[in-house]
Amino acid sequence: MNSSIKASTLSSENVSVWFGQRQVLSDVNLVFPANKVTALIGPSGCGKSTFIRTLNRMHELIPGAGLAGSVYLDGEDIYGQDFDAVSVRIKIGMVFQKPNPFPTMTIRDNILSGLRLSGRKAENADEVVENSLKRASIWNEVKDRLNDQAISLSGGQQQRLCIARSLAMNPQVLLLDEPCSALDPGSTRRIEETIKELSSSMTIVIVTHNMQQAQRVSDQTAFFLADDNTPGGVVEFGATEQVFSGPIDQRTNDYVNGHFG
Amino acid sequence: MSESSVTKPAPVRRKLSAGPLSTGDKLFFGTASIAANFAFVLVATILIFLLIQALPALSSQGLPFIFGTEWNNAKDPIVMQIGPMIWGSLLIGALGVVFATPLAVSLAYLIVFMLPDRSSKAAASLVDLLAALPSVILGLWGLLVFTPVAAQWSSILNSNLGWIPLFQVSTVDNGFLGSPFIAGWIVAIMIVPIITSITREVFSQLDRDLINGALALGGSRLSTFRRVIFPTSSGAVVGGVLLGLGRALGETVAIFYVLQLSFDFNWGQILEPKGGAVASMILSKFGEASQAEVSGLIAAGLVLFILTLCINFVASVIVNRAQPWRKD
Amino acid sequence: MSFAPRPSVQPWARVNKSRRYQIFLASVLPLTVTALIMVFSGLDQNLALVGVFLPLQLVAASLVGHLAFGRRGVGDSLLIVLVVFLSTFVLVLLVSVLVSLASQGAKAFSWTFLSQNNIYVSNTTSLDYGGVGHAMIGTLMIVGLTTVVTVPLGLAMAVYLTQSTSRTKGLVRTLTQAISGLPSVVAGLFIMSLALTLGWERSGLLGSMALLPLMLPTVARVAEEALRLVPVDLRYAALALGAPNYRAFFQVVLPAAKSGLVTAILLGVARIIGETAPLLLTVPINNGTSLNIFSGNMMTLPAYIYGYLASVFETSQNRAWGGALVLMILVGLLFGATRLLSRPKSLKSKPIKQKASK
Repeated sequence: MNSSIKASTLSSENVSVWFGQRQVLSDVNLVFPANKVTALIGPSGCGKSTFIRTLNRMHELIPGAGLAGSVYLDGEDIYGQDFDAVSVRIKIGMVFQKPNPFPTMTIRDNILSGLRLSGRKAENADEVVENSLKRASIWNEVKDRLNDQAISLSGGQQQRLCIARSLAMNPQVLLLDEPCSALDPGSTRRIEETIKELSSSMTIVIVTHNMQQAQRVSDQTAFFLADDNTPGGVVEFGATEQVFSGPIDQRTNDYVNGHFG
Repeated sequence: MSESSVTKPAPVRRKLSAGPLSTGDKLFFGTASIAANFAFVLVATILIFLLIQALPALSSQGLPFIFGTEWNNAKDPIVMQIGPMIWGSLLIGALGVVFATPLAVSLAYLIVFMLPDRSSKAAASLVDLLAALPSVILGLWGLLVFTPVAAQWSSILNSNLGWIPLFQVSTVDNGFLGSPFIAGWIVAIMIVPIITSITREVFSQLDRDLINGALALGGSRLSTFRRVIFPTSSGAVVGGVLLGLGRALGETVAIFYVLQLSFDFNWGQILEPKGGAVASMILSKFGEASQAEVSGLIAAGLVLFILTLCINFVASVIVNRAQPWRKD
Repeated sequence: MSFAPRPSVQPWARVNKSRRYQIFLASVLPLTVTALIMVFSGLDQNLALVGVFLPLQLVAASLVGHLAFGRRGVGDSLLIVLVVFLSTFVLVLLVSVLVSLASQGAKAFSWTFLSQNNIYVSNTTSLDYGGVGHAMIGTLMIVGLTTVVTVPLGLAMAVYLTQSTSRTKGLVRTLTQAISGLPSVVAGLFIMSLALTLGWERSGLLGSMALLPLMLPTVARVAEEALRLVPVDLRYAALALGAPNYRAFFQVVLPAAKSGLVTAILLGVARIIGETAPLLLTVPINNGTSLNIFSGNMMTLPAYIYGYLASVFETSQNRAWGGALVLMILVGLLFGATRLLSRPKSLKSKPIKQKASK
């Protein structure tokens, strides 16, 4: 049933972002083609985490948030009249920096929570649970303890559970906001493998601090930068190999070679 | 590939969260904001209805209602003045604060910095239990158990420190009962938990490293307290004291039993069985009040409300400023 | 070398042997001297406590402090003695209240006292007859009605303060704080004014209404703190899964904050169950049992205690203590329940070592 949903192309057009009166991003134009993994890299405070939140309308939850430009999902503006935030977020899933399984629910209920939370009945629930956990490659570790509390898992397992929780919704796009920053190297490796496997069935955008990680998992890379007191923006965007081995912009070169940031 | 260097007209901000909310969400936020608006309605209603009923008394008595010293329902027109009651409330509140503050700060210091974890929790629970004591129970205990003891304290103070005007009495024959001193202690017991809990919270938010740093520099407990703990937490303590004062002004039943009310100003002889308290006066006169008097009592309540509102407002501003981590 | 018996041994807290003797002497000597002085000179105990014991204890403590740490030890010992002395004083007051309640209240306390009402009871009637049954029923009904109305209101306010992005939050919070400072007697006067203006009769219902503004801020504030303790990440996670706000609240935030919200309700009830002045102003008292909260007279526990408190008759005073004991037991039960609920339970998604649960 995974194959019944196709991956989609996501793109941003002239996206600028404010917090209150302070502009933090200016004119971001990016295209995230279907079945590709795109990494967003850049030093802290350059606005890459803020940007990824505009892609599924999580940004607007922050009081004082402002936005200009458009984000298109298969050509349709997700901030337009025809969309509401809820239907956007169902199509575009998100995994956060720190693992955040629902502490009052079991592992199984966590997987099904998305369906329940968006008011849909979970038909063939067992199948959904098994499928999602398998796609997040955590099935073998938890299949015997589906009714344990989710917080009894280790940090890395929790994060893969969170990925599985998003997968249960069959999203067309999956956004990952520094998903490995709180995890140990072993867990990080497993999540990277999961990301690669998933890219065959969906579009993936990942924010990362770790340049090796970007090189390992992504097909294309966007480098964000914010100079002092100016809004952040995209300095360079292209195929990952090219961005890392032959960047056009001097600043990109400095950053990927570890001269700052 | 995108370059952002091209000059363009300033981007137009889009209206966010304009996406149509689902019916469920509309209902959810609607209900919540109705409830929140109820706070406005409540405060307004309280003021309006108190004012409606207080107006006859306020207009007939004028300004002397607040400053005068006579309440006589036998006169025609009736005379209602609550000056000594307002002053008495403030005096008792001040005494309560003076008694309670050292106790509360000590307790907070004990709980946060001295006791090991488990007994610290137990002590904190006891303080919370003190806060949960109903005032009628405190009044009962105050009248039947505490008053004799406090009268003894009064006698000791009077015989040893009687040369200070504060501790003088006109006669020792009445056994030091019903004085503002006793009422002040009862009030102090009620506000100790309030000050303690706020002080405790500030103490426990203090940077451990800051304190350890001070100790590492060769500072002692005392100097750490004086130089580090006190300066950073004094603001919140003041706020807590004011909150306690607000509570003290409103205290009714507990004071009612231990205080001798008098419509004669007692400027500061705290052992004299002569005091005032607006709230207790309302309770004492309510039973046999005529229609005109009821209006006067409601007017007294209005004065009390405005007084406590002001004190609480200042208090919460101070407390909020002293607890920046509470902001959201 | 053997292992320490407890895992949390703090070697720096160890005191050497001679210093232990000094501390022991410094704590026992002042007490003994004071006791001896009291016995032989008949000095008043209060005076002895403040005039003899405290100075002696301060001197003794500063001596030990000086022996141990030199000059800075003196200040520290004084600080410690003072803090312990003042804290103990509060503890003594609290214990005195509780002990008086238990010892005096026990005289009246019996099944009869709990179950009967107060009809045909005079000031001198034996304690074998009459009790607080009617007052307990009245209190439970009036407080119950207030709770039923206030809890949804307070929770909704807490939801507004934590879940919405509205700009008037600060104002609402300030107003809630202002209401929490409302003197209870003014709450009674407010409802009385309302009744006078609209021509309503005094009844249990008015009592319930008078208690509402007293309970509301407690429920709203404690519930707000409980909701605030739920990590915002959880809410975002739910919203990111496509949940509407209300589902995110009811299915994720509410279950995570459950015990805190129950605490809010319990504290709210504890706040008003002993309120006296508002009820005296709005509910006409009754010696019989009334089940009609909407009209007529009704008795409550606080009003019962209040009525007997100032009596010169011993049995009446006993009844007041008995009523107070019943009230305190109710408060104690509520209080104990909140303590049980506040046991730390981790909501954060901390990795916990796998437990064997199969």
